[in-house]
Amino acid sequence: MDYILNGFVEAFRLIFSFDPEIIQIVLLSLFVSFSSTLYGTLIGVPLGILLGINNFRGKKVVSRLLYTFMSFPPVIIGLFTALFLARSGPFGQFQLMYTPTAMIIAQTILVTPVIMGIVFNHASTSGYEVVQTGKTLGAQGLDVLILLVLELKGVIMIALVTGFGRAISEVGAVMIVGGNIRGFTRVMTTFIAMNNNMGQYSVSIAMGLILMTISFITNSVLYHFIIGDQNEYQD
Amino acid sequence: MNIKTSHIVKTYKQKEVLHLEGQHGELFFESGQIHGIIGPNGSGKTTLMKIMAGLIAPSSGTVHYNDHPLCQDIFSQMTYSTHTPTLFSRSVYDNIAYPLKIRNYEKELLHQTVNQLLEEFEIKNIANQNARHLSGGESQKTALARALSFSPKVLFLDEPTANIDPKSIQLIETALKKRNRDQGLTIIIITHNLSQAFRICTHLTFLDQGICLFSDTPEKIMASTHPTIDEFISFNRF
Ligand SMILES: Nc1ncnc2c1ncn2[C@@H]1O[C@H](COP(=O)(O)OP(=O)(O)O)[C@@H](O)[C@H]1O
Ligand SMILES: [Mg+2]
Repeated sequence: MDYILNGFVEAFRLIFSFDPEIIQIVLLSLFVSFSSTLYGTLIGVPLGILLGINNFRGKKVVSRLLYTFMSFPPVIIGLFTALFLARSGPFGQFQLMYTPTAMIIAQTILVTPVIMGIVFNHASTSGYEVVQTGKTLGAQGLDVLILLVLELKGVIMIALVTGFGRAISEVGAVMIVGGNIRGFTRVMTTFIAMNNNMGQYSVSIAMGLILMTISFITNSVLYHFIIGDQNEYQD
Repeated sequence: MNIKTSHIVKTYKQKEVLHLEGQHGELFFESGQIHGIIGPNGSGKTTLMKIMAGLIAPSSGTVHYNDHPLCQDIFSQMTYSTHTPTLFSRSVYDNIAYPLKIRNYEKELLHQTVNQLLEEFEIKNIANQNARHLSGGESQKTALARALSFSPKVLFLDEPTANIDPKSIQLIETALKKRNRDQGLTIIIITHNLSQAFRICTHLTFLDQGICLFSDTPEKIMASTHPTIDEFISFNRF
């Protein structure tokens, strides 16, 4: 049992030593997951809104597909991305395999359905009413889209934070397409997995604590938005 | 704006909820009048109103506005409000200002218009409150003020005074009558309140099970001998 306690002591020492390698790993993780969340938002929010507010044949199928993709295992997505990016794959010529770009691509595929699914869900229900109401008041085209984004801004924030949470905490996809290359594609989760394999528990715990802190901060932001939405009274 | 419906039929999953054929196959809603639509629950009042407001399409039949079919220009001169309005998640003031903002009203005129409505509907005290957290009556007054802000030509109202206190009902009726008189606003209102219908309406249409049984002046409906209408009136008279 001692190694757990020692692990924690060592972990705190590591964190406050501000090891440049650790800092670099944390920053790369944040960069990759922020980027993929950003792309996921740019794709998922407009698409989710568009599909949500329109009634069309096969809407149920779309919704079911979205839910399936929302819970797709990251390793499968990593594998899928790797097949396309590998040297002999259709996008092999770009030599993206084992680069941060590949990791961003894989995570974008991972988080887009999450963001899109949440937005789609709300746009289908409350979004329809908002669109109808906006139209009866004279909103057309772009007015409607702006109105909807503003009305769904709480939901969009929740979608964004949920997507980011999924990206920053997954290990399967970044491991496969990034390869955990030291100083280049190593991120927090692959670092933890590797050190754990090597029996270096204290560094694993240290990085685990950092990861948990980041998750805590993002979730606090989320909480702030949800609660903020309920307390919108202005004086 | 005159509105004429011809042989409207609306079917939901093989269930015919509106079937306007025969004697009252054509309904005429004359411009500048206050038209009441009355009838029991589930008789198709809301469905008919949504079709006239251009919010849903009929399964068959047509609606003409001053002899023209619906187009964006006509659609944007009409508005629609219900007893469970969808207010936007912003202040009461901004809700009322919304139709003016998208019409690029000048700042000063916008402010003046909104303020007048806030005063008229006695909701100035909640002007800065988020409209998602209002009582039923406050929501309905806000929605009505918002609908009237851009001076539409036709106003559709689906039970706008359901669950509202008597004072607010009077306030709303006064506001409606004033706009009808001063601006020639055409109002089409669904109401369960028969005495309200007699107070404000100049024309009444009675629906029962998707069929129109009556469409004429309020005086004439009192003389109707149709058993369903007779029963409806005697139950609602107090
Ligand atoms: N979207 C819908 N899908 C299926 N049935 C509907 C729908 N909207 C209304 N109906 C049915 O149509 C009938 C008329 O409804 P409605 O027009 O709302 O009546 P009213 O407003 O007179 O109470 C009701 O039986 C209702 O259940
Ligand atoms: Mg109704």
